[in-house]
Amino acid sequence: MAFLQLRNVEKFFGSNRAIKGVDLTIEKGEFIVFVGPSGCGKSTLLRLIAGLETIDSGSLYLDGRDITDLPSSKRDLAMVFQSYALYPHMSVADNMSFALRLAKADPKVIEEKVQHAAKILNLVPYLSRTPRELSGGQRQRVAIGRAIVRSPKVFLFDEPLSNLDAALRGQTRVEIAKLHRDLGATTIYVTHDQVEAMTLADRVVVLRDGLIEQVGTPLELYDKPANQFVAQFIGTPQMNVVPIADLPQLQAAVKGVPSGGFVGLRPENISVKPAGVGQVQGTVELVEALGAETLIYVNAGTKTPLVARQSTRPSVRVGEPVGIEIDAAAAHLFDAQGRVARAAAAAAH
Amino acid sequence: MSRTIESPTAVPQTATARRKQAFDWVGAVRAVAAWVVTLLIIFPILFLAMTAFKTELQAIEVPTHWFFTPTLDNFREVQERSDYLLYAKNSLITSIGSTLLGLAIAAPAAYSMAFFRSKRTRDILMWMLSTKMMPAVGALVPVYALAQRSGLLDTTTGLIIIFTLSNLPIMVWMLYSYFKDIPNEILEAARMDGAGVWGEFRYVLLPLGMGGLASTGLLCLVLAWNEAFWALNLTAANAGTLAALIASYSSPEGLFWAKLSAASLLAIAPIVVFGWFSQKQLVQGMTFGAVK
Repeated sequence: MAFLQLRNVEKFFGSNRAIKGVDLTIEKGEFIVFVGPSGCGKSTLLRLIAGLETIDSGSLYLDGRDITDLPSSKRDLAMVFQSYALYPHMSVADNMSFALRLAKADPKVIEEKVQHAAKILNLVPYLSRTPRELSGGQRQRVAIGRAIVRSPKVFLFDEPLSNLDAALRGQTRVEIAKLHRDLGATTIYVTHDQVEAMTLADRVVVLRDGLIEQVGTPLELYDKPANQFVAQFIGTPQMNVVPIADLPQLQAAVKGVPSGGFVGLRPENISVKPAGVGQVQGTVELVEALGAETLIYVNAGTKTPLVARQSTRPSVRVGEPVGIEIDAAAAHLFDAQGRVARAAAAAAH
Repeated sequence: MSRTIESPTAVPQTATARRKQAFDWVGAVRAVAAWVVTLLIIFPILFLAMTAFKTELQAIEVPTHWFFTPTLDNFREVQERSDYLLYAKNSLITSIGSTLLGLAIAAPAAYSMAFFRSKRTRDILMWMLSTKMMPAVGALVPVYALAQRSGLLDTTTGLIIIFTLSNLPIMVWMLYSYFKDIPNEILEAARMDGAGVWGEFRYVLLPLGMGGLASTGLLCLVLAWNEAFWALNLTAANAGTLAALIASYSSPEGLFWAKLSAASLLAIAPIVVFGWFSQKQLVQGMTFGAVK
């Protein structure tokens, strides 16, 4: 049975329709990630679930109960904010126990739960400090601890890693994934970083302009994007999407492209060959050698260069003429409106 | 002058040493200037304090005598002729009462304006401030009539209400600028943690906004204590504050400088002492939360 359910949820800011009728069902224990470009409404949707914004139409059910109009304080949800939003005048222990103290829980139980959470998050030595005396990563862990201590029905994360440096972000991401595995708590996580989305999520919800573009497991989104937007949003470097008119020589290899449509090719489905070999010819514009892999940007007369990813060290130089071989079976076809015309026949990597 | 003047050319000096000496001169000039300004500002108060300990005859003597035998006669007379303690009590009741009532109204108002902004919030704040742009005397007749009809004339309750109302715009503005600096997400976190409006206010906003509440309260206490216009016009024998007491010494019988000074000194002494002890908070309040 659905644990958390959004039914045709809408939100207006003035005359701006920020959320345009969202339907979504989340199962108990799932890790759901909302992802999308800035302004797509992902944070707004999370705040609607949290009760920090009012739902203008539609309804919201949690564990069989209609919570559409319930205030945040009564929803039994915990949220980790982007800025952490710790109480600056309270110690770490008081920050973590605040909700339980408000609920007048037994002091012994509170102590136990705070100690337990502090142990999980390596915060035991810092319990009597104030947030000001902690580093960014530690504050982040306190914010997570504050959520854990309450054992809420759903954890909400609003871009929790965006204030951390790259190294710490990667590390915390792993910790959050482990935490979810250990606690098995239902989690909704908002991010604009598709790598976070892919690595953490059981299911990813891709949003654009207040609408859900696609919901699916990370690999479903990668292999079978519902449209050009999702195809290009998921995966780095992004999928090459070329108007068929720019590369008519592909018509022969990739059959069934609608007129005025687009061909989508993941960088790993394009290989760089010596000049004269392959379906398309061009010149090398840029070579990015990343060590384990190499990205080769080839100018083939299209508006943006075609990006090829190969796992071998670069053998070509900038300006060199090369041929391009395309794995036609892995091509995604889109119609003129960017809707998927044919998903890749095989997820050949 | 017997002191020898050192000319810079006479004593050989390195460039750095000379620069160092020049810097000291600037410092000295600054210090002297600061003292001069301070003395100018404080002179009337010092003169007042001095006159309060003179006899009436000494008080009107020109040129002024700077050295004399101090007397406490004026203070004795002030207490005998008019009941100083009654006036002091009224001042205390009205200033503390209006400050507490003002905070009780201004804090929720500032809270809603700082955290639940609407398109009109700015306009409402400006409108509140605009009420302070009109001279108080412009509202004298209606306020007097209202006070009379409602039986609040010459009562401390009446003064508390009018002091509160006249200080309210400033209190809301000050608290608003303090609350505005508290991140909204902290209050939202409290809401998520299960705090209702009262819990949010009591456990998060109040402790975080304590500095702002304290300096706002202190400033309003001082303003209410020193308020003279309404205190003079709306009170007589019963609810007069110390401001009214001072004024009564410049009455028809003629000016008695020494007694007037003694009464004034008695009136301002408590608030000056109070201000001295709370100057840190007051300065913070007057810079409107800019200094944290």
